[in-house]
Amino acid sequence: MAILAVSFGAANISSGDVLCVLWNVIGGDTEVSDIKQRIILELRFPRLILAFLTGAGLSLAGAVLQTVTRNPLADPYLFGIASGASFGAVLVIASITGAGISGFAISQMSITTGAFIGAAFSVFIVLSLAGRGIQIERMLLAGVAVSFMFSAGTSLVLYASDPEAAASLLFWTLGSFTRANWDTLLVPSLVITSCLILFLGYARSLKAVLAGDETAKTLGVNVTRLRMAMLLLGSLITATLVANTGGIGFVGLMIPHIVRRLMPSQQQYFFLGCTFFGGVFMVWVDVLARSLVANNELPIGVITAAIGSVFFLLVLRKRSWIDS
Amino acid sequence: MALLSAQNLCWQVANKPIVNDVSFDVHQGQFVGLIGPNGAGKSSLMRCLYRVNTPTSGQVSFAGKDVWQLSAKQNAKNMSVILQEHSDHLGLTVRDVVSQGLTPHKSLFEWDNSQDGLLINQVMSQVDVLGLSQSPFQTLSGGEKQRVMLARALIQNTELLIMDEPTNHLDVHYQADMMNQVKQINKTVFASFHDLNLAAAFCDYLLVLDKGCLVASGSPQDVLTQDLIQSVFRTSVSVDVHPTHGHPRITYHYHD
Repeated sequence: MAILAVSFGAANISSGDVLCVLWNVIGGDTEVSDIKQRIILELRFPRLILAFLTGAGLSLAGAVLQTVTRNPLADPYLFGIASGASFGAVLVIASITGAGISGFAISQMSITTGAFIGAAFSVFIVLSLAGRGIQIERMLLAGVAVSFMFSAGTSLVLYASDPEAAASLLFWTLGSFTRANWDTLLVPSLVITSCLILFLGYARSLKAVLAGDETAKTLGVNVTRLRMAMLLLGSLITATLVANTGGIGFVGLMIPHIVRRLMPSQQQYFFLGCTFFGGVFMVWVDVLARSLVANNELPIGVITAAIGSVFFLLVLRKRSWIDS
Repeated sequence: MALLSAQNLCWQVANKPIVNDVSFDVHQGQFVGLIGPNGAGKSSLMRCLYRVNTPTSGQVSFAGKDVWQLSAKQNAKNMSVILQEHSDHLGLTVRDVVSQGLTPHKSLFEWDNSQDGLLINQVMSQVDVLGLSQSPFQTLSGGEKQRVMLARALIQNTELLIMDEPTNHLDVHYQADMMNQVKQINKTVFASFHDLNLAAAFCDYLLVLDKGCLVASGSPQDVLTQDLIQSVFRTSVSVDVHPTHGHPRITYHYHD
């Protein structure tokens, strides 16, 4: 399936070509043109992996946010985490471009840091507005407000930038995997793998939180500390991904719902399921983005938002989907 | 030594005493009931016992050890708690809710093994919810939910079971059913009640709380007198003996 996904795109490449290139990588010797080989190895594969990581990471972040807030509608986007991260990242990009600083490592690290500070800041605001005992409605409303606040900030930065920079920033805020190369994959894969391991380790405590804060305490879980740690990890994942791919919404909301529906039991399988389905989903969204319009690429965020908003409306219409 | 003991327990909110200088002992195997009018501080007192409310002064100890000196996990191995209201559990199945009882007994990355699976099945059939195993918890009726809570508490496998009005919202059948189930498991129980007849029928020791203070304690026969009920609950009653079970029976006079 991955091979098939790699074969889609602007350049005409067949699944056979992909197989040949893979064969060459592990020491085989088949006839593939140099251009094709380079496209496949240096563009398509990193992109496929980044898409998978993004889908997996956003779904995991959504899954853990939904769990610790016991709110089926929580996701990085609705919480303002993603907008906070976007604002942080855009601010860093704009100032780097403005100051003329170059150097890949510096920029990637500083964008990620900017995104994380923005994300952590929005978590802090949302939590401090959520009231004692985390009232779900207040938290959602606070998330919406924070989201708008940071979007306004992002728009302001875009407006203040010169037209060329603004255009690339805009494309980036809508989400894309075009920046994917082997070097950009390191940080997201480390972050997502370590978060997944932590979520699996704490799966039982996370499941206990679903019983309610008071009951979870009587089950021996330190709820306040666990929730804070998990919110920060969720923000870390979101910030890392936003820094690399821009704003991609609704995946974190949608995938955990589908996984919960498909496999209602056992929390550790739930996180693994979100990782897998989220990743695969995003790979195919990327294929759609590359092939819907000939010789052009649609922003990923546009496609996920289109699919996600319809999904969201269906969920609201049939509330039993989340109630049952 | 008392299994659970409260000494001069006080809990205040904004300098207003909610629980005021309460002391009592619960011994192993006892079924202790906590009664009192609305707002007497029953739930607040119980929260002090299971470490959700931090006492302003005084001490709660389990088997001689201050519960605040123990870890949350150790406390969860000592006492299980059934609350009045239940979360929706975000779509978890009944089986998953029951397995939450294993939480304090497992370390990080330690998942349910086949022995745990067998134990969960056995407990679920004991309280008669095995047939609901794969149903989402939130689709259950109030009576079924309470049984699932009891199953979770049994899996938690603690010496002491604390229940905050376990029969609230239940119909007459489920009230008796729930209390009989609890009686059968032979644990030390500390539970609060609204229904005085239910408390009289199942408890062997009663504590009466009024405005945060402990105003009476003793066996149901000693505590549930006409005078005490009329003064604490501000309701006119007559008390006689239940014709078949022999415990006190309270009849309310609703009309003057």
